[in-house]
Amino acid sequence: MSPLTSLHIAVTLYALGTLSVLAALYNRSKRLQQLALGLMAAGFISHTVWIGTVCARTDHPPLTNLPEIAAFLAWTIFAVELFLFVRYRVHAAAFVVYPLILMLMLITTVLREPFAPGDVALDSKLFVAHLLLSTLGLAVLLIGLAFTVLYHLQERALKTKKQGAFFEWIPSLQLCELLSYRAMAIGFAIYTLGIVAGILWSFRTTSGLFNPRAKEIGAVAAWLIFAFILQSHAAGSYRTSKTILLSLAAFFSIVVAIFGIQHV
Amino acid sequence: MSLIVLGVNHRTAPIEVRERLSISESHSEAFLTSVRSIQGVRGAALLSTCNRVEIVVSSDDEDVIEPVIDHLRHDADLDRATLENHLYVLRNGEVVRHLFRVASGLDSMILGEPQIGGQVRQAYQFASTHGMLDPVLQQLFDATLRAARRVRTETGISEHAVSIPYAAVELARKIFGDLKGLEVVLAGAGKIGELTAQHLSGFGLKSIFVANRAFVRATELAHRFGGEAIRFEDLESRLFTSDILIASTTAPHFILNAEDVERAMVSRRRRSLFLIDLSVPRNLDPAIAAVEGAYLYNIDDLADVAQANREKRQGKTNAAEELIAREADGFLRKLAGHDAVPTILELQSRLEQIRKNELEKCLRRLGPITTHQQEAVEMLSTSIINKVLHYPILRLKESAADSKPEERESLRNTIRKIFGIG
Repeated sequence: MSPLTSLHIAVTLYALGTLSVLAALYNRSKRLQQLALGLMAAGFISHTVWIGTVCARTDHPPLTNLPEIAAFLAWTIFAVELFLFVRYRVHAAAFVVYPLILMLMLITTVLREPFAPGDVALDSKLFVAHLLLSTLGLAVLLIGLAFTVLYHLQERALKTKKQGAFFEWIPSLQLCELLSYRAMAIGFAIYTLGIVAGILWSFRTTSGLFNPRAKEIGAVAAWLIFAFILQSHAAGSYRTSKTILLSLAAFFSIVVAIFGIQHV
Repeated sequence: MSLIVLGVNHRTAPIEVRERLSISESHSEAFLTSVRSIQGVRGAALLSTCNRVEIVVSSDDEDVIEPVIDHLRHDADLDRATLENHLYVLRNGEVVRHLFRVASGLDSMILGEPQIGGQVRQAYQFASTHGMLDPVLQQLFDATLRAARRVRTETGISEHAVSIPYAAVELARKIFGDLKGLEVVLAGAGKIGELTAQHLSGFGLKSIFVANRAFVRATELAHRFGGEAIRFEDLESRLFTSDILIASTTAPHFILNAEDVERAMVSRRRRSLFLIDLSVPRNLDPAIAAVEGAYLYNIDDLADVAQANREKRQGKTNAAEELIAREADGFLRKLAGHDAVPTILELQSRLEQIRKNELEKCLRRLGPITTHQQEAVEMLSTSIINKVLHYPILRLKESAADSKPEERESLRNTIRKIFGIG
């Protein structure tokens, strides 16, 4: 089977899963929500097959260009989401996470590039660690952002006393805050390690610590903003609208960092 | 075989009639035993709640209805006209659909209320333990509980709180999730505040503090909840650590204003605080709603939540009714299929008898034959009988699944006549 087949199957299943979850939101149907989870899980399996095929063919993880990194990030996000679902039985993050996964996979499909031959940079363990840790860290941070969004939606519904479409789906404020904080704390630590690994690799290969390119600027800006958000958690000012603005800025920085990636 | 329900409920009978007909648990066994002793009754069960009294009977025919009504009338000491004015009698398919609706809470005074499911289960267990059920009623109650479970889980009709105290509990859970380990302060001794605190106390709270102008009354209430009485003047300082405040006093002014709550929120590092104002005139300054981290709901807000939830439940009735119709049809088909079994067995037995008799005659006429030849003749006769029986049995099964009771009965009678059964 061509690796593209498993990729296309994964994208199709993710698209169906995303449509189902949005329909579940509209119909308030738990069955549709379960169907969406099933479709996404099936897509995840096909996605895993694709990643395995890439690894087998190129002898390195699919992290050599933007489409591959987008796909790997999507895969990691779903793995984290699945873990949180199994651990906390929270359905609501799906409304934010599934469309994000689909978006990343569409980037992969549209900007698809031929498999890169074994890149010299990928022979460096430090560089591979940088890529893997940064991607995993970003995935966990994005999940943390998803729970921040849910927290603010629920907080607004409770304050204004207007229960919107999300009210029933979103868990308690306390759980949203806990998951957001834990995901951000863990994601931030992993992401920091990823950035440090990248700086060290850059220093070794180019004798420079930082190149002011879009991906580096985006990555460092995201790191700083996440640090602010974590600080607001600790200071108890998490529920202010400032957090939502910071979250948007963090997301934008991640987008800049991801789109800044051309080739390793 | 007939299924019958005789009963009254909150829609057909006023409380004066329902209380007369109500049958206590201690009297239930004697009542059911006497209904069971009526000729033709195969099984009986009784559902007696504050909103309904219903007797479910399975019987050979509908002739048992009059004796059961008489029995009910004597037991309640009611005249026949009064009883008949309020009594409903349901038969067969209506019984199945009715029981499924009752157990799902669709026939309840408060749509979707979950307690009725437990009451139907208790009625079933009681009748079953006392040997009052026949296999048909046993299956009917099993199917009823299964249908009710499906309705609740698939439509979520019981999910939303429709009373003010429950709406407050539901909101508290939306803020804090698990209420275990929370601290609640009850200010005042209003009835609805007390009820709300009582509901909350069922969730494993860490402690309940009761503040009242009359300290003796506070002590009394605190004792009831296993909580602690505090001086009314200490109310504000208690906000520094508590998670939920229920205000239910008769004070004609605000007992807490936005500044008091803001001070508390700073001290508690903006940890969420849920303030429930159940008093009229209001006890909590509406400006508190603007304080970051404080969630203020007054009695009208809670009434709006309860009303919105009632509408949500109403919106789910169509899906619930459709599910019940499907479940009831499935059960009735299964029941009808069981009805065809005796005829099929009799038919098979009748033809097998014919086959054996004819085979015996044939073997006598043939004289000595080998075992192999005898087996071949037996196989031929069995095969002919099976072929002959194939279409009548198929039709009986099909009619059991699809046709009306009269058509089924007519087909069964025709087949019995043709084959000379019974």
